Amino acid sequence: MASQEITSKNLFSVSAAPVWHCGRTVRSTMLHSLLALLPAAIMAVYRYGYDAIAVIAWAGLAAVVTEFLMEKWMERESTADDFTALFDGVVFAFLLPSTAPIWLVVIGSSLTIVLGRMVFGGFGGSPICAPAVGWAIMTVSWPEFMDLNAMLLNWDLVEPLSDLKYFGVEAITDISYTSLLFGQNLGALGASQVLLIAVGGIYLLATRQLRWFIPISFLAGVYLTGLIYNIIDPTLYASPLFHLLSGGTMLAAFFLMPYPSSSPTWKLPMLLFGFLGGALLIIIRTYGIYPDGTCFAVLLINLCTPLIDLIQPKPFGGR
Amino acid sequence: MMKIRLNTSTVLQGSLQDIPVPTRVRIPLQEKHKSVVKKKQIVGCGQVIAEISSKSAYNLGFVHSSINGMVEDILPDAIIVGPIPAPKEGEEAPVPARTEPCAELDTLAGEELCRKLLELGVTTSGMHATRTVIVNGLNPEPGMIASEHLLESASETLKAGIQLLERALKPGSIKLVIATGRQFTVHGCTTITASDVYPATIDPLVIYAATGAERPDNVDILSVVDLYHIGRVAETKLPFTQSVVSVKDKVFCVPVGTAVEDLLTAAAVSIGPDKIVTLGGPMRGASIFDMAIGIDKSCSAITMVDVGQFPPVQPNPCINCGECVLACPARIHPGMLSRYAEFEMFDEARSHHVEACLECGMCTFVCPANRPVLQYLLLAKAALIAQDEEVAACRLQDL
Repeated sequence: MASQEITSKNLFSVSAAPVWHCGRTVRSTMLHSLLALLPAAIMAVYRYGYDAIAVIAWAGLAAVVTEFLMEKWMERESTADDFTALFDGVVFAFLLPSTAPIWLVVIGSSLTIVLGRMVFGGFGGSPICAPAVGWAIMTVSWPEFMDLNAMLLNWDLVEPLSDLKYFGVEAITDISYTSLLFGQNLGALGASQVLLIAVGGIYLLATRQLRWFIPISFLAGVYLTGLIYNIIDPTLYASPLFHLLSGGTMLAAFFLMPYPSSSPTWKLPMLLFGFLGGALLIIIRTYGIYPDGTCFAVLLINLCTPLIDLIQPKPFGGR
Repeated sequence: MMKIRLNTSTVLQGSLQDIPVPTRVRIPLQEKHKSVVKKKQIVGCGQVIAEISSKSAYNLGFVHSSINGMVEDILPDAIIVGPIPAPKEGEEAPVPARTEPCAELDTLAGEELCRKLLELGVTTSGMHATRTVIVNGLNPEPGMIASEHLLESASETLKAGIQLLERALKPGSIKLVIATGRQFTVHGCTTITASDVYPATIDPLVIYAATGAERPDNVDILSVVDLYHIGRVAETKLPFTQSVVSVKDKVFCVPVGTAVEDLLTAAAVSIGPDKIVTLGGPMRGASIFDMAIGIDKSCSAITMVDVGQFPPVQPNPCINCGECVLACPARIHPGMLSRYAEFEMFDEARSHHVEACLECGMCTFVCPANRPVLQYLLLAKAALIAQDEEVAACRLQDL
């Protein structure tokens, strides 16, 4: 056979088994995820105008450029074309007040990429959710610029969670659930578009880009823990539905908690992770010094992931 | 993009087709086989050309020539049988020996019958007396349709195979596992239905569906194609020297060793550099680079995939998404294990149960990072086996 001449006619492609693939790639998943974020982004622009466009655009740009430069420096091939950096940047923008100064957006978005991802070796290596890292750093470093009430003074509205924090349950009695659902109160740029975030999340669930385990158990964790507090003293603690519909709960349920590398992989650990994350969210909101503890809850439960993921089934045929 | 379905059960069309007898075959050998023919020797169809030196009744089957012809070359992994050259003037044309039917097949039983079957080319290494025998009647992978085709069209042959097995192994019981909703029966078998969605169709999971036990040690499994081989031996009392191979939606009966090229020509399938051709199904089949490779007896399908139809496999980093964990029927963590293998941490891979892997390929199928996950797992398994052998060899030296 060695004498056989190699021509293009007898040159065949080979591949390792299996030769089939489900067709899903990181790139396609990220495109679906960005599509899922789109309705909320449009709603944010409708509500907050040009400011929202500027924040989303700068956050996305800074994230992609930072990743590109980091990969250049690390002598790696650029992975900008899989849209993971853009996704992280946009999710980070969703957590900001829409009037955030551009320097803050750029620094935050860059730190999201650098400290949330690249120090761990890039997308998929980080043990913590990158956009939550960016938000946490910004909130701790420049609290005045991240304060939703202070930054959104132009609007004659209130931020429900700050109201709850500083003025108690009575202050939020006139905030209706529908207004929360449609984002008619002050809030972070994208996270407050609760209904549209949920629609995006359901789209991801329906197209099987996202598994239901973490989002559903997270929401269940928020609801049940909120319910327990509410039963203990309804005059002191808000209703569980209020917690579900306010702040970043929905964004966390569908985009921050299931962040691929920082969430567990087995079924039972995923359910536990989601549930405990939800419980932590309520606990931080109740006892913490920040009005919304969503990202802190996500980061804290991320740290427990390796531990929770130790709950593994026996392998097939194992004794 | 086309949605991939992993259901394997199909509605059948057409009958078993023969192809024109090829003039040259390349009969594959296993490492254990020892050639018993010489170059330029004239061999008849059904004549033994390679055997196993061990006298055990449970081993690989002997290899027989599948056409009348002359041995052209003996390679480590194949024997090439080509056309008989035209006789020189004044000489008589050589006549290949005719193989006589083995009359004693009807009278033998037990281990002796197993040995006889082995000599007739049936691989008996997976068989044990008095165990439960499970016949896997599910098409093993999507696009492999030979199993259900034989259940539908060759029930008499399968019955003969079952009767021979009963005499040879005296099994506790024989169970036939078929796809839910299908109506196949084989005389002498209890029928059990199971899911036809890959990977539920691979042997360990079919055993689980039939017995409710994971890796039980009192069960033997064989595929319908294997049973058909035994049935044909029982019917003809001759070695069965053909493979049943499905190509797209047709099933062919071809002499063992037929070049893939010849079969594809007969099946009117065009191939070129824009195709990946594999021996076997789309999930576990090995892709080939040389279309002159002979079809093995155990090969029951040829799969073709367009280059570019699926995203190419690349050594990308794992993104920890956990899709492989949800897809894995063995309940191990293929993503983590693949990283252990990638960085040669084979002992870590062992402590995380890499040996439980069923090699179904679902991990690679679902991987969004397009990592060759299965390949890494196979690497870890092979490295561990090599490591164990080395340790064993060292111990022997110490003694």
